[in-house]
Amino acid sequence: MAAKPHRSINLLANLPLNILLYAVLIIPLAIMIYLSFTDWNPAKGYDWWQAQFTGINNFVRMFGDARLGAALGRTIVFVFIVVAIEFLLGLGLAYLLLAEFPGKRGIISLIIYPLMLPWVVVGMVFYLLFQDFGPVVNIFLKAIIGEAATKIHFLLNPTLGFTVIMLADIWQWTPFMFLILYAGLSAVPKRLIEAAQVLGASSRTIFWRIQFPLIRPLAMIAIALRSLEAFKVFDAVYMITGGGPGSTTETISFYIYMLAVRYYDMAYASAISLMLLIALAIVIRLFVKYTIEKGGA
Amino acid sequence: MSMVSKILRVAALAIFMAWLIIPITWTISLSFKPYLEWRAAHFWPKDPTLLNYKILFYYEREITITTGGTALTKPMIPPLINTLIVVGVSTVIAVIIGFFTAYGASRYNSPGPFGLYFTLLTRMVPPATFVTPVLVYYRTIGFIDSHLGLILLYAAATVTYSIWILKGFIDQIPREWEEAAVLEGLSPLRAMVRVTLPLVKSALVVSGLFIFLMNYSEFLFALVLTTMKAVTLPVHLTTYVGAAGALYGAQAACGIIASIPPLIIGYVIQRHLITGLTFGMVRA
Repeated sequence: MAAKPHRSINLLANLPLNILLYAVLIIPLAIMIYLSFTDWNPAKGYDWWQAQFTGINNFVRMFGDARLGAALGRTIVFVFIVVAIEFLLGLGLAYLLLAEFPGKRGIISLIIYPLMLPWVVVGMVFYLLFQDFGPVVNIFLKAIIGEAATKIHFLLNPTLGFTVIMLADIWQWTPFMFLILYAGLSAVPKRLIEAAQVLGASSRTIFWRIQFPLIRPLAMIAIALRSLEAFKVFDAVYMITGGGPGSTTETISFYIYMLAVRYYDMAYASAISLMLLIALAIVIRLFVKYTIEKGGA
Repeated sequence: MSMVSKILRVAALAIFMAWLIIPITWTISLSFKPYLEWRAAHFWPKDPTLLNYKILFYYEREITITTGGTALTKPMIPPLINTLIVVGVSTVIAVIIGFFTAYGASRYNSPGPFGLYFTLLTRMVPPATFVTPVLVYYRTIGFIDSHLGLILLYAAATVTYSIWILKGFIDQIPREWEEAAVLEGLSPLRAMVRVTLPLVKSALVVSGLFIFLMNYSEFLFALVLTTMKAVTLPVHLTTYVGAAGALYGAQAACGIIASIPPLIIGYVIQRHLITGLTFGMVRA
């Protein structure tokens, strides 16, 4: 049983956090809920608190909004593809580096550096790499498919542009998967593996029957956290394609940004934000329930 | 292990290392290319120059010479200072508040009215969902383009990390040590400050550096909420290509310089990166 908290400690433990959260998160949350039932935008000429309620118009509008559907679908595809590739690459890499060999520490230190770079810098690097004058077209692809490579314009093509955004994410976050899975794999007791080897198990059997089951809870946490993080993707889109050409590489975060900052459609942007928050709160609640509270790690 | 599988192993590792290293190497190479080579296809600069780095630290004259007078970029020193102020202060606030909250959560199970779940939630939802209301709210109270506005926002967005990281450390300290101090006549508050705080000193530093790393990268809110005075480094980085022209070399140079502080901090807390990124759920 928890002891009764001392008054001053109780104050310190709750008051500063609540003041901070109220000041910059709860008040905006209230504004978000309010705005999503109005049709306010800054061009209306009156302040937002004077806006009239318009019922659920904004929410109805969402169902007819093809651009919203496209952005949402694209974001979900993005999450599935990048998280799957990052997981497989990270797992493979962790498995490769499980054996001891000279220089291993150095290699691991080198592998994780993309994690530390500012996201905008990674976006910039890939933006520059895939320019028409960049090395990908002019050096690497040219070496493989010849002169035809120079006719490829990565950032002017919706599919290729979106692929570049995915590559940037994979480049930066595979090390995250690697680090978690490596920590898990190295914690598998050596004697379990040795015992299986004595019994004649192949390394494939050992991986699928011993190592993988043991790191499964860890892998679930890694995949869940990375998926939530990948769903936020904004910086890379902004840097690499700017959502274009047209709106063909837009993600949901980028669409909300465009609505609020470029089109001043605050009410509709709030409504979309609210729906997204509610949907994700449910997903996150489930995640917390099945991993943290069950002690899955 | 057979010879073939060994060679495959080395080859796979080599390809992966190349994939990790080539993009950055090329960016560094671009940052040393003179204006005429920015759009040239060769990998290494033929005529290496420091001009791109000079552009970053002012010199409107220099830019005129190199690009024919199209560029209107600003020096990167003010954004760098803004970043250090905003990120530094918000990190200190997040760590201090995080310590008190984590202590309460660990010792008295008092996560506050919202619960620890709410703090996790604030960190896991896309920040873009808060862009609209925060923009409206900050405009109303005059916080647009102010350091204070960004500081409060960053502190609130990262306090989750310090709560969860520090709670893990405080949980490991036997409660009896504080109780002994209380029996010796210290108030519970002083027992916390005198007994617990010194024991988690290094954890405070680790969580602080980690939060610094997270806030340093923040882009979306800085982009939306700053215009002139409080522009941070990530936002400044976007100004080299666009309205100002296409200063690719200078942009690459700015990206390289902007990456140095987080790389240093990242390697200092290398062993704790995973603990931080998973809110203490996974410990390496």
